[in-house]
Amino acid sequence: MSRRQGPAARPARRPAARPVLRLGEAVSLPIDRRALTVGMLVVVAILLAGFLTLTLGSLGIAPAQLLPALFSDPGGTEGFVLSRLRGPRLTVAIATGAALGVSGALFQTVTRNPLGSPDVIGLGVGASAGAATVGLLYPGVLPVPAGALIGAAVAIVLVWLGTGRGFSSPARFIIVGIGVSAMGSAYTQFVIARAGREQALVLSAYLNGTLASRGWDDAVLIWGALAALVPIALLLGRRLHLIEMGDEMADALGARSGRTRIASIAVAVCLSAAAVSVAGPIAFVALTAPQIAKRLGRSPGTGILLSALTGALILVAADLLVQQSLMGVQLPVGILTAVVGGVYLGYLLIRESRKGTL
Amino acid sequence: MSPILAARGLRLAYDSRVVVENLSIDIPDGGFTVIVGPNACGKSTLLKALARTITPSAGEVLLGGSPMLSYRSKQVARRLAMLPQSPISPDAITVRDLIGRGRYPHQSLLRQWTAADETAVDEAMAATAVGELADRLVAELSGGQRQRVWIAMVLAQQTELLLLDEPTTFLDIAHQYDVLELCARLHESGRTLVVVLHDLNQAARYATNLVVMKDGGILAQGSPTDVLTADLVEAVFGLPSLVIPDPETGTPMVVPRRPRVR
Repeated sequence: MSRRQGPAARPARRPAARPVLRLGEAVSLPIDRRALTVGMLVVVAILLAGFLTLTLGSLGIAPAQLLPALFSDPGGTEGFVLSRLRGPRLTVAIATGAALGVSGALFQTVTRNPLGSPDVIGLGVGASAGAATVGLLYPGVLPVPAGALIGAAVAIVLVWLGTGRGFSSPARFIIVGIGVSAMGSAYTQFVIARAGREQALVLSAYLNGTLASRGWDDAVLIWGALAALVPIALLLGRRLHLIEMGDEMADALGARSGRTRIASIAVAVCLSAAAVSVAGPIAFVALTAPQIAKRLGRSPGTGILLSALTGALILVAADLLVQQSLMGVQLPVGILTAVVGGVYLGYLLIRESRKGTL
Repeated sequence: MSPILAARGLRLAYDSRVVVENLSIDIPDGGFTVIVGPNACGKSTLLKALARTITPSAGEVLLGGSPMLSYRSKQVARRLAMLPQSPISPDAITVRDLIGRGRYPHQSLLRQWTAADETAVDEAMAATAVGELADRLVAELSGGQRQRVWIAMVLAQQTELLLLDEPTTFLDIAHQYDVLELCARLHESGRTLVVVLHDLNQAARYATNLVVMKDGGILAQGSPTDVLTADLVEAVFGLPSLVIPDPETGTPMVVPRRPRVR
């Protein structure tokens, strides 16, 4: 054993220093080569899925005409598809997926648990309940997206009250969240049962989460939310790395875990709410995107940008599938993500309970 | 001249349960202070308060003579490092990256990784002899290796004060002494150490200043030879014992007596 030998006994093998971006004395930032490469690959995949979204199917724009059509209004059917149908839908899908990915990454980091994501802790269900209330019980009082936003806010306040102590216990956070979810979906069922069948049908697509018939005003809202909130999430990123090692360790290093957690949850709730208000509660993108990003990037930490890109890719790809499905009827994209994500959630629940972290 | 780290009239409580009441302590500069005491006597709680990871409900902790709360959190972290009892290793992190996280208090938004950070991490790895593990995943290490890596992480913080909460728990006896010898070397290199330990004989062997706690207060403090007597062990732990010189180091050694059979 060499452990009794002093430090000088064997010089430490020095691994290659990490690459660093330097600008004079003021700037010195580390670069994660793998995350950079993976990020660029995901961007290429998003572009590819976007290309297919615009070109496939009977309304698709011929690939040769796509580039010219993007830069000058082609008019006619192509112009209509690009500026009214698939153009805004794709634009909204990218940003909504990214918002959900970042929201999930923030939630999962502060709770130190993949189950601590907005889907599991009742944000989506709260949004549905709010939408159902506004759309079916008191139609016309508020726009449905506003109802969804209020519902999501009420859900997170209920979870906060239920856990106490400012979200500091991840396990309680998740358990209370599951309870709030259950209450929220029971309430939504009650509202739907009370409403007339026809009315309920109208709302059902929204309650599942859909990107059909989104317009440019939706795109402005969700891209605006991203532009405002993602920089804040990135600023919180380094402190979130320390919270991963436990609140006490983070506090000892000067990262003030309490404030960081509250700020992160506030940003995450706003991103989720923005996503819900444009597309309804699309299930499980927030749960899966950060987990996939983590495995792709194979690096510790929050990976906020990579989670954003992965979320965008998942949603664009899922929406491409439902648009091009051969079932005759276009399913809401939220049903597809719920089926795929539900399987993943089951896997996580089993794994976490085996690990004893729940 | 007041010591770098001290506490005055501390009351420490979790919610409404008071654990420590009206406690004052001076931590000798450059000393190796070991805090011992029975379970739930408040020794870990005191350490957390000294590291400002819990806030006293009365009294104050003084750093360099000024109240701890008058500093910015990162300023404190450049002078005082604390290793909690069970920190969580993030998934898929390498040894080198974990140790690098100890550099946070020295970094800023635009200067996230400098040559000074690189040097501090190298030095911390050399001091703890974990250089060979640099590219390994923390999750794959043995308990003893992992503890040395965590100590390297707090060393990379480059602080004058080092607080360790039961650093030998969950380690086998060889690795316990491995960690304690490492602490002794750090002490010799000039750092001020405050360590919570369970084992009285280990405490007596390594401490220059022994603090004995019971029921949230300090019962005795001083050099182990002066403090550790059979009467004290009986009073604090309710355990009748002999205290004899450790044949290896001459420091006091506690040998429990068997209950008298009637």
